[in-house]
Amino acid sequence: MSDYSKKRFLVIDDQAQARDALRTIAQQVGAFSVEFAANYQDAIFRIRNNTPDIILCDYMLGEGRSGQQLLEELRRFNLLPDETIFMMVTGEQSYEQVVSAVELIPDDYIIKPFSPDKLLLRLDRIVAKKRFFDRYYKEKRKQEYANALAILEASRESEEGRPYRFEILRQRAEVFLASGDVQSAESAYRGILEAYDFPWARAGVARSLHRQNRLQEAREEIERVVARTPHFFDAGDLKATICMAQGEHAEAQQVLDEMAKKTPRNYLRKRLLAEAATLNGDTETALAAMTDVLANDTMPGAISAEDRLATARGHVNAGDKITAEKVLLGLRDTEVQKMTLAEQASFAALLALCSPEKGKARFAGLRPAMLGSDFGATTNVDILRAALSTGDHELADLEADHLMAGPDAKKVFSTLRAQYSLHGREKDLREIQRQVALKRIHHEELIPEKPAGETPPA
Amino acid sequence: MHKLLDMLASGVHDAKNQLFIAESIIAAAEAAHGIPLGEARYAIESAANRLSRTLTAYHLMRHDAAAAVTPTIVGDVCDEVMLAQKKHLAERGITLTVDCQVIDEWPLDRDLVTDMLNNAVQNAGRFARQAVHLSATTDDEWLCLTVDDDGPGFATLPPASGTGLVVAERLAELHTRHARQGSLQLSNGSSLGGARFELRLP
Repeated sequence: MSDYSKKRFLVIDDQAQARDALRTIAQQVGAFSVEFAANYQDAIFRIRNNTPDIILCDYMLGEGRSGQQLLEELRRFNLLPDETIFMMVTGEQSYEQVVSAVELIPDDYIIKPFSPDKLLLRLDRIVAKKRFFDRYYKEKRKQEYANALAILEASRESEEGRPYRFEILRQRAEVFLASGDVQSAESAYRGILEAYDFPWARAGVARSLHRQNRLQEAREEIERVVARTPHFFDAGDLKATICMAQGEHAEAQQVLDEMAKKTPRNYLRKRLLAEAATLNGDTETALAAMTDVLANDTMPGAISAEDRLATARGHVNAGDKITAEKVLLGLRDTEVQKMTLAEQASFAALLALCSPEKGKARFAGLRPAMLGSDFGATTNVDILRAALSTGDHELADLEADHLMAGPDAKKVFSTLRAQYSLHGREKDLREIQRQVALKRIHHEELIPEKPAGETPPA
Repeated sequence: MHKLLDMLASGVHDAKNQLFIAESIIAAAEAAHGIPLGEARYAIESAANRLSRTLTAYHLMRHDAAAAVTPTIVGDVCDEVMLAQKKHLAERGITLTVDCQVIDEWPLDRDLVTDMLNNAVQNAGRFARQAVHLSATTDDEWLCLTVDDDGPGFATLPPASGTGLVVAERLAELHTRHARQGSLQLSNGSSLGGARFELRLP
């Protein structure tokens, strides 16, 4: 039995009586210091400033927020150290369904009402488990993936590891995915599925397939997960992402639209919705989503340069160049300097699009860096658009060639076609497309043993 | 129909929150005054379990019940049943013993299975003379959870099928794996000479 008298507890619940009850129970297991947080923001503030040892968080936090969302946000901003215990407290049996499906889970959850003895039993178990995985967590956190995997392999064989065999397999698959070894991740998740058809493991298969650009297979796997566990929203996000990669933007937007209604304060999902709506040509929804993000994603550091760029892009798409320019010029010089090269390229391209006299020089200055660079599909499309509108055909065609030969071909194809036809150059795009296809055939003849992968749309 | 379910679920949820407040006050009073009120807390937790079970039964009737399967340490489930029932049985002169032979994690619905075992131990306690035994073993890729008592056994077999039994059977069947399905068997094959409850999970 661990000693909890020196541990710092944080109780998160929007109901005062429930907070008192949780504190009382925590005190019976020996807790001396018990802090309260009455809402989501308060909880994040307290955890940021002085991380507690043990968090007892109610699942229903009011104001459209859930404990699960808090957990996700804490992980997103890296605010939960491995040593901290996060215990979800719930009167809802339905939370069990969430835990059994999703990838991101708390250390444990406990259903109300419960006795101090039961809480003690559960906490002791978490402490034992954290102790068992301690060395592994440290390596994983340092991104020393080879070391982390070696520790897991050793635990897998050990007698002490037997009670954690699924957890070991799950962590192993996650490490493969995080380290970019997506083939191993796929087979690790498939291995888990042989034992039991866990939704999170099937989502892992889909994620690994998506990263290998095996889109149709990824889509089939994720559809199965979504159909079986519709409350597993991250699976819906993944489905939408795969749909976008397949060029099915309307489907992607519909999936995200429905989920965003159920999780109105999940701003990562809102960003994804903005992306899907943009690709789908629904500039209104895209702008509304980004406006919501900028206004309400209040975590310090949550709003990134990419968010500002996405908003400016939204205004450009809506034909409102003045507002787009205002958003871009609203960024301070220091902010622009801190941007990655890709973001700077997008910034220059978008500014050139909405205000040629202010943006053209900057855009031209970055041209050498842009030539042949892979900045990611969004930025490459920005560059292509600016190049088309400034009459830089060489740069535009280079970007088009690059995009159509790459893994995002289906995702951006409709955008490319719209942009080229806007400038009366549909024929040129068709020629680029033909060249890309020829090169691909030639390439496959040279290296026949390599899998063909996805072909761009004809 | 969905509205009714939402109403029931939210009513159960609120009631369980209230019961938790009551339990915390009792726990504090026990600590402050050194008076054992375990039976009061036991009654509160039983009431909450009954509410949950009612909601689960309703889901079963609607055919939208699903097992929330997570990898679970079987010994942990046994420990929790022990914690929940031992003192209560001891009050009535009955000893609960546990023997868990399963070390590995098993994919099962932790809350459903714990509740079923709690229920089985409660029932066994009602008829037992002095002993109830919970055991966990594996048998050819099946997890066997059995509750034995030393009571008179079932008067008729199979026993008259009440609502509780039907629900329990259905909950066992919700556990499926590779086309195999969980099952529930009641018999007089207890190692202690009385009734036996046996839950087999794939």
